[in-house]
Amino acid sequence: MNRAAPRSIDAYLKQLREELTGADPALVQDALYDAEEYLRAEIAAHPGKSEADVLELIASTYGAPDEVAAAYRETEAKVAAALRTPKPKAGGGALRRFFAVYSDPRAYASLFFMFLALAVGIFHFVFAVVGVSMSLGLAVLIIGIPFFLAFIGLTRVIALADGRLVEAISGERMPRRPLHPGPKQSFWARIGEMLRDARTWTTIAYFVLSLPLGIAYFTIAVTGLALGLSLTFAPLFEIARRFGWLHVSGGIAVDYSPAWLGSAFLLPIAIVLGVVIVTTLMHCARFIGRAHARFAKHMLVMGS
Amino acid sequence: MDDSSARKFQKDLNGGLVALVLLSVLDQAKGELYGYEIAKQLQRAAQGEPLFKEGTIYPVLRSLSAGGLLSSRVEPSFSGPPRKYYRITAPGRAVLGEWRAIWAQTRNFVDRFTSEGKST
Repeated sequence: MNRAAPRSIDAYLKQLREELTGADPALVQDALYDAEEYLRAEIAAHPGKSEADVLELIASTYGAPDEVAAAYRETEAKVAAALRTPKPKAGGGALRRFFAVYSDPRAYASLFFMFLALAVGIFHFVFAVVGVSMSLGLAVLIIGIPFFLAFIGLTRVIALADGRLVEAISGERMPRRPLHPGPKQSFWARIGEMLRDARTWTTIAYFVLSLPLGIAYFTIAVTGLALGLSLTFAPLFEIARRFGWLHVSGGIAVDYSPAWLGSAFLLPIAIVLGVVIVTTLMHCARFIGRAHARFAKHMLVMGS
Repeated sequence: MDDSSARKFQKDLNGGLVALVLLSVLDQAKGELYGYEIAKQLQRAAQGEPLFKEGTIYPVLRSLSAGGLLSSRVEPSFSGPPRKYYRITAPGRAVLGEWRAIWAQTRNFVDRFTSEGKST
């Protein structure tokens, strides 16, 4: 790489971004943040020197953009290989593969996420709707501008937190640092940039959409678990009660006793059906976890 | 011996050593450190030609943190973007103990062949 050595922080970051073209956007965001943290600290540590003087020495201390980019790519490849959970063995027939979902930690995490999604969705939705409407309402007043800036800033922080949650559940690589604000610009240019940045709008759209999605996830999870578990365990309790192994003493009034609970033929079918429903729910949860992660990445990271 | 082959050898050697050095630095530190402090500490220790570029420690810090060997915390700073502070965790200390033993063993073994004028 025989390019002009960067003479300013912005030029350095620009070259680093170019060197990382094609890498995971979340990784690019991390690398830019690390570099900026170092470069600004280095400049602060040499108050007598100009930015260009400090940058001249950077290639021999921090490393030139192409060296740094190579280090990130290599480390990422190694970490991705080391952290990937081993795939459950595919062999063993369809039945075994169907039940293998119980040994996948991602499925449990996703199921938990489906419950959590409703609360998160309500929070996101309220935040986005209140933020947008108050920004519009206050736009005619002088405090409208700082309000809008604070709203967008908070939006990015919440998007980052949501990304961490999604990564924990699905393993999809999400940014570990907030969105890089880009080169220093005037106040108005920065506001214009925020308004033009597609990611601002896709993030707000994601927040609004996470309420209906959260309701759907929550409903599927609650319905599936309640139906599946009751079909599985109600017959077992019924059998235990009939044989006198289980005494339901006063206090618990079980009014619900459908006809099939009395049928010896339907009891095993109910148990099998219950197990199938719970297992299907686990598959469903794993699928939703993955699909939601891809959706979140598209809306929160890829947008710009 | 041209410079590039020496550099390549150094780079191959550094693969796991950077992680070992970073864990040791954070283990010896009383509290938490952020990337730049660690980089400068290593620079002072190297006294001259550093073994690796400071930019290469950041991705390693991230990967150690992702593996649970370090914990991290982001704090806003006045001189630029927020700083990421790292601290060694209990699993990190355990791994460091193992790595130190491996390193001592490796060093002894390599020394046995490479130190000149010394008979074994």
